[in-house]
Amino acid sequence: MTGRTLELQREPDTPPRLETAVPVEGSDITARAIVEGPLVGFGAFLDGIQRSTIAAHHGGVPIVHGAVAAAIRIRAGRRMQVWERPFRSHACYLPATALDPAFVAALSARCPVVDTLADQELGTPTPRHPGDLAARALTAGQRAREAAEGSLAEAWTRRGAAPLLMDGGMSGRETVARSPLVVGAVKTHRTLYVAGESLDVILGLREGERTTAMAISSPRRTAVATWYLRLREPGARGPLFGLVRVEIAHDDESSITARADLVSRWLLAERTPVALPDVRWDVMVYGIRECEQYLSAILP
Amino acid sequence: MTESDPVLGRVVATEKKPNTPHEFHFWTALDAPVGIGTIVRVESARAVGGVLPRIYGVVTEGFSYTDLQTPLHDVLGADGEPGASANAPTDRTEIRLYTAAVLRHVPEEPLQPVPMGTVHLASEADVQVALRMESYVQGSATRGIPVGLYRAGGTQAGVQLDADFLLGPEAAHLSISGVSGLATKTSAVEWLLSSIFAHFPAEKGRVAAVCFNVKGPDLCFLDQPAAQLDDADRAIYDALDVPAAPFADVQYFAPWTAKGGQLATLRSNEALQDNVQPLTWGLRETLQYAEVLLNKDDVDAKADALIDFIKERVLDQVFTDELLGAAHEVRTFSGLDKWFYEVIRAIEGRDRGDTWRTHHIATIRKVRNRLSNISTRCRGLVTDDGTVSDLPFKAFTDRTVYVVDVANLEEDAQDLVFARVVSQLREHLERRDLGVEHVVVFVDELNKYAPADGPDTYVRKMLLDIAERGRYLGLVLFAAQQFRSQVHRRVVGNSGTSLYGRMDPDELATPGYQTLAPATKARLATLEKGQLMVRHPHFGQAVFVRFPRPAVLTGREGVERFPPAAELALDAAVTRALRRLDPAITLAWVQDAIALAGDNEDDILRARNRTLQAKPDDVKAFFKAQLKKRVLAEPARRGPSALRAAPEGDPYG
Repeated sequence: MTGRTLELQREPDTPPRLETAVPVEGSDITARAIVEGPLVGFGAFLDGIQRSTIAAHHGGVPIVHGAVAAAIRIRAGRRMQVWERPFRSHACYLPATALDPAFVAALSARCPVVDTLADQELGTPTPRHPGDLAARALTAGQRAREAAEGSLAEAWTRRGAAPLLMDGGMSGRETVARSPLVVGAVKTHRTLYVAGESLDVILGLREGERTTAMAISSPRRTAVATWYLRLREPGARGPLFGLVRVEIAHDDESSITARADLVSRWLLAERTPVALPDVRWDVMVYGIRECEQYLSAILP
Repeated sequence: MTESDPVLGRVVATEKKPNTPHEFHFWTALDAPVGIGTIVRVESARAVGGVLPRIYGVVTEGFSYTDLQTPLHDVLGADGEPGASANAPTDRTEIRLYTAAVLRHVPEEPLQPVPMGTVHLASEADVQVALRMESYVQGSATRGIPVGLYRAGGTQAGVQLDADFLLGPEAAHLSISGVSGLATKTSAVEWLLSSIFAHFPAEKGRVAAVCFNVKGPDLCFLDQPAAQLDDADRAIYDALDVPAAPFADVQYFAPWTAKGGQLATLRSNEALQDNVQPLTWGLRETLQYAEVLLNKDDVDAKADALIDFIKERVLDQVFTDELLGAAHEVRTFSGLDKWFYEVIRAIEGRDRGDTWRTHHIATIRKVRNRLSNISTRCRGLVTDDGTVSDLPFKAFTDRTVYVVDVANLEEDAQDLVFARVVSQLREHLERRDLGVEHVVVFVDELNKYAPADGPDTYVRKMLLDIAERGRYLGLVLFAAQQFRSQVHRRVVGNSGTSLYGRMDPDELATPGYQTLAPATKARLATLEKGQLMVRHPHFGQAVFVRFPRPAVLTGREGVERFPPAAELALDAAVTRALRRLDPAITLAWVQDAIALAGDNEDDILRARNRTLQAKPDDVKAFFKAQLKKRVLAEPARRGPSALRAAPEGDPYG
């Protein structure tokens, strides 16, 4: 295995877009200052990583080796330590139907094999382009990571004792999406959730301001409450600098303002220590970065 | 691994910071009980040649850092407010990374880079193995000399030196360095001598120590118990099986003061006079080491030849020469001066040339001038009348400390004492008639006696000789100095064992300390009293130990508890000296007795000295007889006629 991981080579597969969301604090999306100061609230941080590399080609078909790890790091006495056991797995991601069954069988004796075409609808032609096949392997690895993160988050909802901040959205699993113990922080904004003419409000947030909370849902995901929060003053760095989208369980709309303010204060408290030298330091809290560093250390 | 032997750390190595056969790196928990000087054991799980290697090392350097890439990131994170960092909810990931120097590989071969493995605090047994002590501290024929206690992370282990490598014959000599006052050099030597006396194996022979007290009251109370010895000190004595007691047998030697009434030592309190003896030498004892007192300008080849002639043909024998007429028997400085007078007068009176027996009169005048003033320069030590009171060469006893107090002597006289005592020790050890087989000679301020640069003096040559050949004789040098770098490299280089107390940072910057890691130097620069860094031939690396306060009274406490006697009147001083031989002697009796000598103090002191030298059964009668001799001889004394003045321009006149 040599060269850059597929994750580093990947081009975005979806164009930036706007999605509609429904305000749950009144009818308009407005900017709301977080009046009270930062407050330490999170007791744990969840993140996952994946590394995918093309291990070999078999008749032009890329055989991708993928490794996935996820962990929850709990904070005790200002120091981080792993909660229970981290999740680690690896597998060969390949289009089984496009390969010699004997080869696949031989490979599976050495390494778990994941068929990247398993969910392909019957009758559709088998993709042959190596780039397409590699992208499918990458997506499969990504799903494995999300599954690992989801499993850990679920475990936390059962056995955890403090609010957990997970990297990314939390709506993938219903138990997680409904848990008061879990908060999701989304750092990338290829999809911006807006209501009406609220885009300017979102992009114009000042440091320490949040938007009105909204509800978002999709057919395959559980509805959650979400809002945008500006962690750091953008200055001339662009409208998305320091902007995160926060997700929490969407249960009691009467208390959403208080909860959104409280969770925002928790997040603002996590601005230090700064997550540099990570390039996403403006939106990444140190606990998530530390978790990612931990996973990098344990992933072979 | 057991609960009592928990994993302390893990060995790590990177391409940039690899492990080698002599150095390795490991990390620990932030609160691990590890520090510079801690001895650790590495357990590898990968067998080599069927054996799981164990590596012992001593921590020489420590590093701590976080995942912070640049300090600027912390500034950014805290918005430029230093106090804000303290409020961060999470502490950055932090590491304690240590570098250890390898003490020993087990097995020794093949010698490989230190493998990855778990790191454990060394146990007491580990310390023995790590320092290769098991060969001389275990079994029936042990020869370990405790030098201190190693303590780290709950481990306490005695560190012992190999007697064969401390007192010979395999290696020998000890050098102790450190700044004055804080380095505890004197204390360390006192402690180590106690340890040697307690542990030196009887089958290896008898051992004694000769200590030169070169300043103040440092070594003046070695036979008195310590004023303060706390439980921690006693615990170390117990752990190392050394009695917490002062030296049982100590003998003190000091020259007289210039006035001659009392001994020139701060151990002059009347309660402590039982084991204090005068140190006085006559012409014979001094002339042998005249070179010490005469510098190169004085002793050219011609002068040297004349001195040799005097030593071989004149001293202690009947000397006749047709030119002189009467026979001469030179045994004292006054006798030598008389002999010179006669020789010069005879040469001046014969009117045929200025040479006698190939010696030019100018040379004779020069040598007379230089030799005659030795008794003046070394007054109190060197006597005109030849009275000798010396160390008991041939009768040294086992486990005895002989303290020679030269603190009040001039530098020349100190050199003379040092040269003669050490030379005598050497000669007697060569002849195997000293009384003991091993002698430790403790010299403080060695940078003065054996400097790295400066003139090649007799004393320096002698010290070099001891350093290089003394171990075969049993003559062992314990040398203390503030700056090791200023001591001749052949002396320090031949010291098998080196101790370091608190060191001066400038001294640590000299090339001799280049092999020490910066952290080790930093520790050396801040060592507490009672701590030493030890280098010994068996130890792969230097180790830090603690030693207890000596169980003897310190000089400062000693002079407080036993204040030095005030300057006594002549009669009182004589009374005090003679009472050591006969306690029945009273001041009134002495006053009556010395009335015979009138006002001639020299005669009275001479009579006292001869009495002390002879140690007669009837002290009173002997003392009176000495006085009477002088008094009776007085009318016969006639002043010599004046010699011609030295020629104008005579550089030796």
